[in-house]
Amino acid sequence: MDLFLQTLLNGLLIGGVIATFTIAFQLTFGVLHVIDFAVGGWVVLGGYLGYYIVAGLGLDGFVAIPVAFVLFGAIGYLIGPILYNVRNSRTARPELMALALTFGLFTLLRGGMLTAWGFNTRTVATALSGESLMVGPVTVPLIRVAAALFAVMIAGGLFVFLYRTRYGLAIRATAENRHNAALMGVNIRRLSANVYGLYAGITAMAGVLMGAIYSVNPESGLRYTLFAFFVAVLAGLGSVGGAVVAALLLGVVEAYVATYVGSSYSLLAIFATLFLVLLISPRGILRRGL
Amino acid sequence: MKARWLDILFLGALLFVLVLLPLLVNNYWLRIATGALMWAGLACSWNMLGGYAGYINFGHSAFFGLGAYVTALMMVDPLGLPFAATIPAGIAVTAACAVIIGAPTLRLRGAYFAIATWAFAEVLIQFATVMEFTGGIGGLSLPPFLNERFFYFAMLMAAALTYLVTWALFEHSRFGLKVKALRDHEPAAEAMGINTSLVKLQTFVLSAVTASVFGAIFAYWVTFINPKSVFGGDITDQMVVMVLLGGLGTLWGPAIGGVALFVVNRLIWMYWGDTAFYIAILGAAIVLVVLFLPNGIAGLFAKRGRGSVSVLGKAVEKLVGAGEGDRK
Repeated sequence: MDLFLQTLLNGLLIGGVIATFTIAFQLTFGVLHVIDFAVGGWVVLGGYLGYYIVAGLGLDGFVAIPVAFVLFGAIGYLIGPILYNVRNSRTARPELMALALTFGLFTLLRGGMLTAWGFNTRTVATALSGESLMVGPVTVPLIRVAAALFAVMIAGGLFVFLYRTRYGLAIRATAENRHNAALMGVNIRRLSANVYGLYAGITAMAGVLMGAIYSVNPESGLRYTLFAFFVAVLAGLGSVGGAVVAALLLGVVEAYVATYVGSSYSLLAIFATLFLVLLISPRGILRRGL
Repeated sequence: MKARWLDILFLGALLFVLVLLPLLVNNYWLRIATGALMWAGLACSWNMLGGYAGYINFGHSAFFGLGAYVTALMMVDPLGLPFAATIPAGIAVTAACAVIIGAPTLRLRGAYFAIATWAFAEVLIQFATVMEFTGGIGGLSLPPFLNERFFYFAMLMAAALTYLVTWALFEHSRFGLKVKALRDHEPAAEAMGINTSLVKLQTFVLSAVTASVFGAIFAYWVTFINPKSVFGGDITDQMVVMVLLGGLGTLWGPAIGGVALFVVNRLIWMYWGDTAFYIAILGAAIVLVVLFLPNGIAGLFAKRGRGSVSVLGKAVEKLVGAGEGDRK
């Protein structure tokens, strides 16, 4: 029973971190209508940034979180318009071209990281690494609790931004109907760039947390892209609220499969579930997808 | 009419050189040529669905790997069958798999289809990694057959057949017109009376089966396979880049892109001895092609031709049985 509770808690904490970047991923899809294969690349880059801030500057891993947001937010802000142009270009199939572009970006990031840093695994060291907290019979690593708290803060901030500010209203309006939003005076192109920047920044922050909880290597990007897709498919592409539920579910399912069946089966289980959900209910279990 | 003769002359010369190549070069270059033929053929198989039908398959390596694993499993110890017997079996298994996978996933549009196929290929990697009978992560070793010329001609035949079928079926038959119609506007194609589900499924199965044949030859050629080497995402990545670089939905684009990229791959391997850098180049190539050359290299020379149905196209259509179901 203790193991059961422990696994549940671990899964929920990880799910919280997954939720942060999948919310942003869904938002990006809603606004740009692009599935971003590169999402795993941003997560891993965030993790590496954390590692170098710890190893190179001797600072704590948590310092890397705001740095990651600013740095990757800026990079995303520069990439956003390119993606927007391709998605809205006059080529025969802009949707597929945009998909191919993010796929290329993902491959470029992965190959670049492999070339620069090799296959070695890096961990972001923080003040809390190795510490743990006893809650009754359950042992919880403090870093996971802190990461989950950060995740809740980031997600909460994002929701406040989306639902309580004028710009958030513009983003939601664009996601709902970009044509009408444009008629209401929203500059869709600039907004798309901002949303992609926001998304890249949030994803890199989640990457720092992931790097502190597990570790990162260039190949692990695939895993996070899978997570984002899994959540997107379960919740329905573009559904932001559903992403939180789906991410927590993913965290818990992965934790249970890893604990009770074996960690080598967890990816198999996730992929198989993803595939089945797509076949049974292509618009997501919650049927709120676009 | 004149251009047509020039085409035939050029093709004849190309085939002549390709057939005589084993006499002209040593084994090292023959291996490279074999690889180039394989990639040209694989790119073409991806292009059938991706280019002509407009469905981006991010899990095409699944079928390449299936062909390789069926051949390997049939040739290793308990069965020990000859290579020739494994190819029909590989085709049958892949075709069955493609129907089972394709029928539900081809209902999905665009991004969802891409995710579904990607997930399917990853399921197969994980499956082959955790299972006992596939040799797990260690893979399988096939009985070695060290005759470079045999593999060269096997790949040449497979590639030539792939291009012939593509030319006849997608460029010069009613089936090809149907496929292109559904790519350009699926509801409109449906309204014209085309059974789009059937046409898509036929294209998907053909594309899968083609990849599996190359997988089978590849497994026997390299004599050792593991989940990563035949199911790996890198294989799909390369096919996608080759087709995008050469030109999506063109006959010769995949051949140009396939050979060009394979040569780059070998050069990098020769000078750096490391493939990580190649992955970065692949990614950069996709990005640059999408941004600056969306119609690929073939798009630079494209002539605006009109689709016509040839005698050979009809014959191949009949042979493959494509497009029969919805002809009234």
